[in-house]
Amino acid sequence: MSGRQVNAWAAPLLWLSLLLLLALGGDWLEPLLRWSEPDARRVLYPQADLLTLLVRHVQVVAIASGLAVVIGVGAAILVTRPGGRDFLPLVAQFASMGQTFPPVAVLALAVPVLGFGTWPIIVALLLYGLLPIVRNTLAGLEGVDPAVQEAARGMGMGGAQRLWQVELPLAAPVILAGIRTSVTVNIATAALGATVGASNLGAPIIAGIVNNNTAYILQGALMIGLLALVVDSVFARLLPARQ
Amino acid sequence: MSRREAPLNRVVMALSLVATATWLALPLASVAPNRIVPGTAHTATDLLGWPLALLACLPLVALMALSRRLDRVRCHLALALVLLLLMALPGWLAIASQWLVDPELPQARLGIGAAWWLSLFWLSLMLIELRSRLALVGWRAALLPVVVATAWWLQGAWLGSLALGQELDGRRGDFLEAVVDHLLLVGGAVGASLVLGALIALAMRQSPRVERLGFAVLNFLQTIPSLALFGLLLAPLAWLAARFDWLSAIGVSGIGWAPAFLALLGYSLLPMVRNTHVALSEVDPGVLEAARGMGMGRGQVFRQVRLPLALPVVIEGVRITTVQAIGLTAVAALIGAGGLGSFIFQGLGQAAMDLVLLGALPILAMALVADALLGALARRLDHRRLASPGGAP
Amino acid sequence: MIELKGVTKRFGDETAVDAISLTVKPGELCALVGTSGCGKSTTLRMINRLIEHDEGEIHIDGRPIREFDGRLLRRRIGYAIQSTGLFPHWTVARNIGLVPRLLKWPAARVRERVEELMGLLGLPVDQFADRYPAQLSGGQAQRVGVARALAADPDILLMDEPFGALDPITREGLQAELRDLQSRLRKTIVFVTHDMDEALALADRLVVMKAGHIVQQGTPLALLRAPADDFVASLLGGDDRGLKEAAITQVAERMLPLSPRLLPQARVHRDATLRQALAVMFREHADRLAVVDDEAMPIGELSLRRIVGAGRDGSGES
Repeated sequence: MSGRQVNAWAAPLLWLSLLLLLALGGDWLEPLLRWSEPDARRVLYPQADLLTLLVRHVQVVAIASGLAVVIGVGAAILVTRPGGRDFLPLVAQFASMGQTFPPVAVLALAVPVLGFGTWPIIVALLLYGLLPIVRNTLAGLEGVDPAVQEAARGMGMGGAQRLWQVELPLAAPVILAGIRTSVTVNIATAALGATVGASNLGAPIIAGIVNNNTAYILQGALMIGLLALVVDSVFARLLPARQ
Repeated sequence: MSRREAPLNRVVMALSLVATATWLALPLASVAPNRIVPGTAHTATDLLGWPLALLACLPLVALMALSRRLDRVRCHLALALVLLLLMALPGWLAIASQWLVDPELPQARLGIGAAWWLSLFWLSLMLIELRSRLALVGWRAALLPVVVATAWWLQGAWLGSLALGQELDGRRGDFLEAVVDHLLLVGGAVGASLVLGALIALAMRQSPRVERLGFAVLNFLQTIPSLALFGLLLAPLAWLAARFDWLSAIGVSGIGWAPAFLALLGYSLLPMVRNTHVALSEVDPGVLEAARGMGMGRGQVFRQVRLPLALPVVIEGVRITTVQAIGLTAVAALIGAGGLGSFIFQGLGQAAMDLVLLGALPILAMALVADALLGALARRLDHRRLASPGGAP
Repeated sequence: MIELKGVTKRFGDETAVDAISLTVKPGELCALVGTSGCGKSTTLRMINRLIEHDEGEIHIDGRPIREFDGRLLRRRIGYAIQSTGLFPHWTVARNIGLVPRLLKWPAARVRERVEELMGLLGLPVDQFADRYPAQLSGGQAQRVGVARALAADPDILLMDEPFGALDPITREGLQAELRDLQSRLRKTIVFVTHDMDEALALADRLVVMKAGHIVQQGTPLALLRAPADDFVASLLGGDDRGLKEAAITQVAERMLPLSPRLLPQARVHRDATLRQALAVMFREHADRLAVVDDEAMPIGELSLRRIVGAGRDGSGES
């Protein structure tokens, strides 16, 4: 049993250790990176240490996704209750419009209001990440078999009891799948924050583009990719296997 | 609409309340003496004085009254009111520009305030709500934004001192060029990915191994952050262009359109291939069985049954891809691909927020228009969702 | 005429159909019945070569079907299935005209034929021709499916649970229509169903299948009277099968000429089934009925002893 559990966490642990290796590897990664950029003066991103950037990246995504989950799941629950049904079409349409807003444009529009730094990217990620969560929560809650709902009511369960004991547990896999999509997309999109002065894993990429240094870009891209893999494989563990 | 007493519409009620609060509390516009200095904000009450500002709220109060019993007639009335309010929005800026901007200062400019943007947002939500309450579809639904856009365009003359307009004035030629570049890149990438994506999807249907491999590669491409994919193509393309003269002769180089186009193509392929593949695979097996049972050949089944049934889903893929490409092309400006993104990054670099808006707003508009048009096309091609008029068995 | 001789079909290691032989005579409606997975649909689909058989021979009008091009063969055999398989992106008229167009009939003739068939199946042209399948009820869609199968006037019709997805009332209505249609058109029909009542009501010949074998075949009456084994007997309704027999026998078959005795009050139509006659007796507490014709004129009488067949095979009275 414990052997199987270790096995189950093998993928996330593997990606995590590779990620940390890149973040902490420092000097002895130099020969590898040198291969991609033989002539450059430096191949290791010098401005800040990669671990700090990684932590900042995770922070931004965590705050944005946390807010998106609270707002998205909360809104979807509210509009599927009898009192909030009126708002259902509007919320569904707004969520799908949010996905239409390009993150760069939202980022750019947020800067005049929130200034340079971390907040614009949080707002952009929040908006962009909302749709998969709202859509999946709505689909999950609406997809609960009406017969089951009817039975729960027939047994005398109240509205809150039905929500917590019947609807949410039954909808959980669909909701989690939505959160998974939202978070993994946001990990990649967060790199854009570097263009408005947020310091995260997008910073080495921008520096690489500006200085024409592929090694910098590689470091940023690899770490973002690995971070996405870590999070995605953790979600894969949490979710029951897809049919 | 039901014949029972029309119920209270909570959505319109809530949105009107919030819009009123926004209007009275937040700054409507700001005035700056020049491009860089942050402006001073003015609320509607500063600008118009309390009596006039409250008077301007009357249509919103009327909307609240209508929403208490929103039957079909009142719904139409409310829609007309919301449309009028939306059409009049630039008018407030024109008034602000008359009263606030000192004509002695040619550099002075009017910034659009939070109250204005949020009013636009709440009114748009109300428009969407009323449109779905009235079940407006097709050209009548499309007419609403067109009417508003026309009204705004007609009021353009009075908005000379708007910062956005001033930014545009200086670079009208650049702006047009950027729009064209942007559209060309998006169109080229989406078009190429449609052709290539269809070919890949067809190849995937031939063999499960190609299918697994294809999706693995495309999924991997999608996890690379867009920023990085643009960057990573710089060096290899520069190297190729240096090696092969004909490549540099057609304009390929490390920066510019070539890496942007390739990266956009890479990103566009996954949604395109996925939708085309799903569309072709998920045609009702009963229909295919019947087609074969009637004596249709493989080619006939594909051309006359599978393809037309798959088309709406393929168009849906084109829609997703196009909206995504419009946003990504903005990022491509970082590697010198031109397009509207260059205004955004220039503006960010110079801390000139109005220049940022000049880039961001058209991108937003393009994405919304592409989304609406392609969505409408997909719905039009889809006969399966037609509502049954309920004939007797 | 359809002949199957020792036909076998295997899917991997599994034998779906095991050396079955079967002859369907021209103008006959042959129903294949059995539990799901017994090989009845596979048998049907081998006849139009949607599935190729592994062993044995299948002949249509004396020629082995392998001699035909599969597509051309299917164009001359009508085919209707449970999910209707109507093309959702085509109108009703275009769906019905599919096979004639495949056969390159001139457009005017296709249109004429489509209108003729819509009339035959009770689908007013002005009302239905331009509808899409999503705008039809289940029963209407099924009618369009049958019309499409009949479009090129095929001699042979293959039907795979065509009424399986319908509610009982619609299903009975369509069964009656099919019987009526068949009495006029006299097609050779192979009909797959798992609904024994449907098979009994429609079939000239009943073929019971189990695990890829034919367990028994014959007329419905023959099977009801002498089921080959317990499986066939239970499929036919166990102890209920007496009533099923009564349900497929007409009053006219058992009626006696009018006797000099007083005519009973309770009456039954000559085209009614014995089962309906029994129901009338039960309701009216009568053991004799007057049999009437369309004008409600008495033309004979029917007694309980006659219904249960006492004196014919002696198995009736209990």
